Amino acid sequence: MRRWNVLTLLFTIAFCAFMWAIVAFWCMMVASTGYGWPATHEVLLIRGEVVLLSSLVGAALAAAGVTYQAILRNPLADPYLLGVSSGAALFAYLWRLPALTGIATLLGAASQQGFAFAGALIAVFWVLAFASRRGRLEPVTVLLVGVIINALNGSIFLLVYSLVSTLPSSEGALTLLVGGIQTGLTPQQIRAACVVIALGWIILLAISGQLNAAGVGDVEAEALGVRIQRLRWIALVVASLVTASAVAISGPIGFIGLICPHLARLFVGTDQRRLLPVSTAFGAGLLCAADAVSRRLAGEGLAQTLLPVGVLTSLLGGPFFLLLLIRNRRRADVMEGRI
Amino acid sequence: MSRLLEVSNLGFSYGDLAALRDVSFTLMSGEVVALIGPNGSGKSTLIMALLGALHGRGKIKWDGVPVHHWSRKHLARYVAYLAQSPIYDPGQTVIEALRLGRAPYWSLFGIESPRDRQVVEEIADRLDLRDILHRALDNISGGQRQRVFVGRALVQEPRAILLDEPNTYLDLKHQVELMSLLRTQSREQNVGVLMASHDLNLAASGADELILLDRGSIVADGKPDEVLDPALLTRVYGVPMERITRVGKPPLVIPQV
Repeated sequence: MRRWNVLTLLFTIAFCAFMWAIVAFWCMMVASTGYGWPATHEVLLIRGEVVLLSSLVGAALAAAGVTYQAILRNPLADPYLLGVSSGAALFAYLWRLPALTGIATLLGAASQQGFAFAGALIAVFWVLAFASRRGRLEPVTVLLVGVIINALNGSIFLLVYSLVSTLPSSEGALTLLVGGIQTGLTPQQIRAACVVIALGWIILLAISGQLNAAGVGDVEAEALGVRIQRLRWIALVVASLVTASAVAISGPIGFIGLICPHLARLFVGTDQRRLLPVSTAFGAGLLCAADAVSRRLAGEGLAQTLLPVGVLTSLLGGPFFLLLLIRNRRRADVMEGRI
Repeated sequence: MSRLLEVSNLGFSYGDLAALRDVSFTLMSGEVVALIGPNGSGKSTLIMALLGALHGRGKIKWDGVPVHHWSRKHLARYVAYLAQSPIYDPGQTVIEALRLGRAPYWSLFGIESPRDRQVVEEIADRLDLRDILHRALDNISGGQRQRVFVGRALVQEPRAILLDEPNTYLDLKHQVELMSLLRTQSREQNVGVLMASHDLNLAASGADELILLDRGSIVADGKPDEVLDPALLTRVYGVPMERITRVGKPPLVIPQV
């Protein structure tokens, strides 16, 4: 039995970073016109920014997904399916509206993150309020409420968009609805997202041991020394903050938070202390690879325009979700048969 | 033997419904005490209160300190708890479940000490879990799983273990095995065990003392042959009970159908 100490923690992080770096290097070689390392400094900067941003967003969504799954004891939880991403995207869009510029200016550099965070928290609140029955969250009900929240947020987004689509602030806004790495982000926006996601990730890693105890019942978790209600709040708020910061620069990219934790479980088991860094690396690698594939598809002429990366992740994630659903249902049947 | 737990005049109500009334008893180290009584008699409520999950009237003192003065982490190092049907992640392996028992000792980032590893290995050996350490909890038998959960409780290195009807989903063989395991651990490790049980005869054969609860009150408390009084049990359970006395062994009680 290998002990989880500072050395294993650092080694795990370094190994995950190395694996991601290999994928990122490959992504850097993928251009819309062919393969090869960027020829000029300008191209290097542009492609480097896309690779890093997609990795950052993928990492954030996967980290949030693995946390939601642990704290809600729901293997189907994901920032996208819970409606958190669409809430954050709606508010990130509202941030652009001239009517709200005053508030945005007051909040400073992280104002878009702040708006997205508010949207994410409101979505979490509604999901918890509607899906909770006698203090319990039934997994499928959580997802059904998430679907409704998603539909509502999408409708409000389109309604506002149709009312103000002629304004310059609505340019490229639809990417925020379908999910794709935003272009033309300011250095402040990128910096704010990096800082918030990094800090949030460190907090999630710090509580990863306690999140293991969240997998047992509430009273048992308390009997293992974990203040479960406090942990639940911290995990939900921080995961939503991380999601919101990613969504503010990418829109609601689906299923990364669902697929990556399950892939990671195949390699490292259910221990959250290992799962978080490994899922994060999977998320970073998967999204930056999906972005590279999207670039190639456009380059090969297979897609008319650059496909929003959210389209690809949904194509991958939708069937994956159905597989998980079938597996969960089969397991429930077996359990009922046993009892 | 030292006094681990002291409960005096404990009362608790769910709204207007009194669930516990003036409950007083003690738990000593190395002692196995079984809480018996019909459904709704207050067994589970009492265990919840002892864990500090419910706020009632009266006093609950662990090691002389009121339960609500303990920090969660320190209480978890003193008292372990096993639920009636523990919730678990189906993919979790036996070793991961055992390691979780050291959660009260982990520092930030879940960092483990050499002692954590040593205790997990000792308990895995003691409970004969070595061969199944890397199997998922979903892929072992109910009896083995319950043994793992007892192991997780022991990994906490507690002075006392509270169990809420741990035999509910076990067949007869595994019920006897579990009771024998608890008795052995109690004797060898000097751990105090308090368990709620529906099985009067199993409780009598494995416990040093029985506490009979009826509508939230203790109606009898003592050695099995004192508590298993047919007239009293008939009154509490509402069915006629017959007692079979055995030489050198606790009596058996059977309902008359």
